[in-house]
Amino acid sequence: MRKWLIMMLTVVMFGGLLAGCGGSGGSGAEGSSSGKVQLTFWGDWGGEGQKQFETMVDAFNKSQDRIEVKYVLQQDMVTKFLTAATSGGAPDILFWDRWRTSLYAPKNVLRPIDEYMTRDGLNEGDFYEESLKELTHNGKLYGLPLTVDARALFYNKKMFADAGLEPPTNWNELEQAAKALTVWNGSKLEVAGFSMGDPGLFNMYLQQAGGQMMTEDGKTNFNNDQGRQVLAFWQRLLNEHKVYKIGFEEGLGEGTDAFVTGKVAMLYTGPWMMSTYNKYGQDLDYGIVPPPSGPNGGQGSVMGGFGLVIPQGSKHPEEAWEFIKWWTANKDNALLWAKTSLNMPGFKPALEDPFFTEDPLWKPFTETLEFAKTRPTHPGYSVMEENAVIPNLELFMQNKQSLDDTLNKAQEQGDKLLADNAVVE
Amino acid sequence: MASVNKLGQHQARMAYLFITPTMLLFAVFMVIPVVMALYLSFTNYDVLSSHDWVGLDNYRRLAGDALLWQTFLNVMYYAVVFVPLNLLISLLLAMLLNKRKVGVKLFRTFYYLPTLTSAVAAATVWIWMLHPEYGLINGLLAYLGITGPAWVSQTETAMLSIIVMTLWQSVGSNMIIYLAGLQGVPEHLYESARLDGASRFACFRYITWPQLRPTTFLVSVMAIIGALQLFDQAFVLTQGGPANVTKTPVYLIYQQGFNQLQMGYASAQAFVLAMAILVFSIISMRITKAEEPIV
Repeated sequence: MRKWLIMMLTVVMFGGLLAGCGGSGGSGAEGSSSGKVQLTFWGDWGGEGQKQFETMVDAFNKSQDRIEVKYVLQQDMVTKFLTAATSGGAPDILFWDRWRTSLYAPKNVLRPIDEYMTRDGLNEGDFYEESLKELTHNGKLYGLPLTVDARALFYNKKMFADAGLEPPTNWNELEQAAKALTVWNGSKLEVAGFSMGDPGLFNMYLQQAGGQMMTEDGKTNFNNDQGRQVLAFWQRLLNEHKVYKIGFEEGLGEGTDAFVTGKVAMLYTGPWMMSTYNKYGQDLDYGIVPPPSGPNGGQGSVMGGFGLVIPQGSKHPEEAWEFIKWWTANKDNALLWAKTSLNMPGFKPALEDPFFTEDPLWKPFTETLEFAKTRPTHPGYSVMEENAVIPNLELFMQNKQSLDDTLNKAQEQGDKLLADNAVVE
Repeated sequence: MASVNKLGQHQARMAYLFITPTMLLFAVFMVIPVVMALYLSFTNYDVLSSHDWVGLDNYRRLAGDALLWQTFLNVMYYAVVFVPLNLLISLLLAMLLNKRKVGVKLFRTFYYLPTLTSAVAAATVWIWMLHPEYGLINGLLAYLGITGPAWVSQTETAMLSIIVMTLWQSVGSNMIIYLAGLQGVPEHLYESARLDGASRFACFRYITWPQLRPTTFLVSVMAIIGALQLFDQAFVLTQGGPANVTKTPVYLIYQQGFNQLQMGYASAQAFVLAMAILVFSIISMRITKAEEPIV
């Protein structure tokens, strides 16, 4: 009897453990009582972003009576998707940081959408070529762009007017304006003429100088004249004109943002900062111009943004495609999304609406997007940039490494990281 | 005799029954994952598609991974400064607050409070205090006519900033452990020492410190493990920068495993980290002589 008891207890406890591990398998996304197809849409935007997503989901659900989409907020979405993709329970639609495509597409967890595109007669020309390139792997397209963004130059109009300056259009004018607007009080920097806090913008400057981060065959491509031009430009700004001090903007929150409080006269940033500036900068009068061009007239900015993709595990890819098409490839809906979230939609016809073309703050961004390029689609690109390029640039900016050493080391370490993180087919 | 045996057997059976839940949890959540990770470190596991045996390839790649070894040096530097300071400050605080005086409880609470703050919230406040132009610390230095550094952004001071912040956050809980240890030292030892005319320092040197050996071992091992696994504070305060000086092994392992989907290689990195923790724990055990009995 007692033995029985022990056995029972052990079995119950062990069973409990197993249940705890293996639970949440079924997604329960089958047709419900209403007869509609239920779709799950995963994203990692909470707060305001969640409300914006839900606005779109509600509008879609009301627009037809066959499909019902539900937005599910997943804080650590990519990690959860990893488990879901292998053990079942993957969502039907995934909000997707586009640069990850080159990493995930070779693993066969995303569904190509080419056949849907041709069947429904969608025109690839309606989307930015660069954003589609980022969603493509081995000639197959894996999703459609939901948002596009790029950095442009924000400047403080009042400071420019006081100094009698025009917004810069090239590196030389940028340098002169930055120099003129910088104010030092002894060893204390009061106004930085130009923000140089983010060495991650190297890619953008390199494009302006006429260069590219990577060669076609997957090697780094900045240890050359173009790379040297960028670093020489930075050196002039930082050491000769002292327009910035390392760490100047560190830890300044939204309300104390250096641009809002007039401590930075110019900076590169994107449309995502406009709501912060409008909210906290009641006295801030700012303008935006496309990034100034480099010494040989080259223009450059880095295009980023998100897309929508369908995981291979989705049981209703047709319906998921309906939802993606409705949202990203329809002018009215893309515009509704833009106005709701203040994001630039990936659908070009929506960007031709007066909402964008007649607003002086949006116009420079649509102009910038014409020449902006996405990051190279090598799966090791982000680690290469983060672990090899940026650290060496930081040493350079703090005068702890010479220009040539910086480019040599960044190339050597970068090439190694690219090789180590290349796709294993 | 037979009944005694039977009783013993019964007790042994019940004992196994009582430890079963803990051992099961330990096996399922500790032993199995560790064995799995060891196995995975010999494969090219990527979570999604591939899962092939690659032998020692991952370990060969480790040898040439300069960035990984740099992150190890980073946390070693951190541990060498952080662990002794942590022991010293928390022991001093505990001795100061191990008195029956008015207000002592209030101070204990104050010193413990930072422990309750989340790393992210604390780091946000510290970044602000360490700001080169508007921060409290450089503001005070300016009164003395010193131009303070850009603490978290400069290669020389970035790790120091993290050390200061994590000390502030962790001495409180270690102080509590030391307080408990101090209160466990038998009063009669001090009494007889005083009768023999021992000085206060001699009392500390020959009674308090040896009696606290197990406590010191616990605190130092926990501090070493925490130091080698440093992640969140460094991530929020400096994002591993500038120039990789505050990047840590845990950060790299996460990046390699979850961002780059090279879980096999990440497992190999994690095993090296586990070995490092083991070695340092043994060294700490030797130094604090934790295995010797307290007289």
